[in-house]
Amino acid sequence: MVLWMAAAAATGLWLLLLFALAVATRNPDVEPGPATGALAGQSPAVVDLITGDWRLCDEAASATLLDLAARGVVAVEEIGPGLSLVRLRGQPGGLRPYERLVYDHVRSLAVDGVVATGALAEGSRDLRRWWKSFRRKVIVEAREQGLSRPRWSRAHALLLGAAAVVPAVAIGIAVGAGDAGADHGGGPGAAILSFALLVALMDRLNGERGTAEGAAAAAHWLGVREHLRATGRFAEQPAASVTIWGRHLAYAAALGLAPRAVGNLPVSTPADDSRAWSDHGGMWHVVNVRYPSRLLWGRPPGATILRALAAGWFAGFSTWILLVVAAAFGVWPDGLVLPAALAVGLAVAGLPVVYAIGDLGGAAAVEGRIVRLRRFRDGSKADDTAKWTYWCAIDEGNSREVRAMCLSEEMWRPLREGDTVRATAGRRLGWIRRIDVIEDSRLRASYDDTGEHLVDAPENLGEVRVLPDRPARASRADDGGADDRRRPE
Amino acid sequence: MIPMLVVLAVVAVLVATLVSAYNRLVRARNAVDNAWAQIDVQLRRRYDLIPNLVETVKGYAAHERATLEAVVTARSQAIGARGPEERAAAENMLSGALKSLFAVAEAYPDLKASAGFAELQEELAATENRIAYSRQYYNDAVLTYNNAIQTVPANLVAGMTGFTAREYFQAPGEERGPVQVGF
Repeated sequence: MVLWMAAAAATGLWLLLLFALAVATRNPDVEPGPATGALAGQSPAVVDLITGDWRLCDEAASATLLDLAARGVVAVEEIGPGLSLVRLRGQPGGLRPYERLVYDHVRSLAVDGVVATGALAEGSRDLRRWWKSFRRKVIVEAREQGLSRPRWSRAHALLLGAAAVVPAVAIGIAVGAGDAGADHGGGPGAAILSFALLVALMDRLNGERGTAEGAAAAAHWLGVREHLRATGRFAEQPAASVTIWGRHLAYAAALGLAPRAVGNLPVSTPADDSRAWSDHGGMWHVVNVRYPSRLLWGRPPGATILRALAAGWFAGFSTWILLVVAAAFGVWPDGLVLPAALAVGLAVAGLPVVYAIGDLGGAAAVEGRIVRLRRFRDGSKADDTAKWTYWCAIDEGNSREVRAMCLSEEMWRPLREGDTVRATAGRRLGWIRRIDVIEDSRLRASYDDTGEHLVDAPENLGEVRVLPDRPARASRADDGGADDRRRPE
Repeated sequence: MIPMLVVLAVVAVLVATLVSAYNRLVRARNAVDNAWAQIDVQLRRRYDLIPNLVETVKGYAAHERATLEAVVTARSQAIGARGPEERAAAENMLSGALKSLFAVAEAYPDLKASAGFAELQEELAATENRIAYSRQYYNDAVLTYNNAIQTVPANLVAGMTGFTAREYFQAPGEERGPVQVGF
């Protein structure tokens, strides 16, 4: 008991130390400066970081693209209320690493140098990895400009790490003393686990914090925010209005004043399940994807026949029992018991069986671009035994509405969005029997979704390190991401 | 009393359905008009660029009179065309004349090297691309509108209130395919 109390006291003291350091290293208070229209030297992404309590918000990527448009690297053109285009303009030079990341994403999607703004959410990148890389690159610049630094310095990290040994050892001793008779060796294990948990907690609290210089810059930008809020109706401006507003719109987006423009440019947003953008045929266009109910869709014909027969038998048998009882009470004619039961059974089984036989007899050839690959969980089981339904939506280029079809996991796994495929499928039951990739997605090999990946900035502990230049392929392999395909679920 | 209420309820539902269908048709028609206006903007931009292009080419290749006149004539015809079908045909003729002009320009290195010509060429290519997207946008809007006026029950409202099908903006025999941009 005494040992446990000592362990609890040591842990409490360590938590107190952590709390004290967290308070001591909290972000500086930032008071908005006087309203001003003077744009300082920071980029919109850095402005987003320092005015967002040193946390990068989703708008940063869109604001960066708006900034590129304002500087003439790309153009944003409005074709209609639901369609705007981003057009690449020549070879840009002198882009910052995170700007290059955004530019490369746009370039990877562009057809004839053009991509629809809505299609910016498409692509082959691993969005989490992409965002992490983007964030790191922005942080590097903010640190280089002296606006930000990691919350825990080396001294803090060393102090907390060393101090965490004490409660971990105390817990280990307490567990070891209780476990002495059984001799399971639980003491060292408990100590290691405790240490890992404490370090993880320390990691969790780590992040960026502002410097005095950063606080001054943030105050200035909050003043700019007040000015922009008072002078421009940025909330209603679409992304294409960057032609008129220039960099002010980019900064307004970074400062949270231009939600419509940010929404127009979904650079860091996951692609919508039901509204896909396809470049099949050479021009980006919207394809609405439906995932029909699986009552009579997305099932193999053979299994459908068996299920239909079972359902028909069950319905017919149940009806027969009911009608036998009804006939016994004289409310149903005896002669119609069997015919009625058969009719119900046939009615239940008939349509699925006809559909299945139709699909078995004449499967259709479907050729086009995969616009959505999804898997959805069947039922509500969340454990490893959960069953999944695998969906594939193919844009054949002749309709803006596509019904996603189902296929087996083995066929689904090697596919990627953007691949051009030829499939053999049943049109009535929506089951793909065979699928061949005719042409790999052009989105796959077009760029490394983390850019040159020079920065190996840990999320939490330690300093940002800028690694020496490495070949892109090697760096991807090092990151373990060469084959890390995006598989949204 | 009850039959009266039932009749009133049925009439109210009917009127609400008709009004809703009518409003939907109006929205679809406005979307088509808006999409057509977008095409018009892009086409006019192309018309505005052509005189500068002709003047630039004339400065280096004045004796290519036939090609230059073909471009000017095609432009005049395109400006004068009315309705999507006629206009699509005229625009295709203009695109063909421009292609001939750019083919001629290949034979004049000084012209090709001219910064003004290069800028115009790039601007025309971008405009051509915008026209292609505007056309796709317009055709999608027309498809939605035509579907709306031909399906039950909106077709009844469309027939009573004078909504008629719109033409697509594409040349005869043209299918959706890769955009051919650039000269």
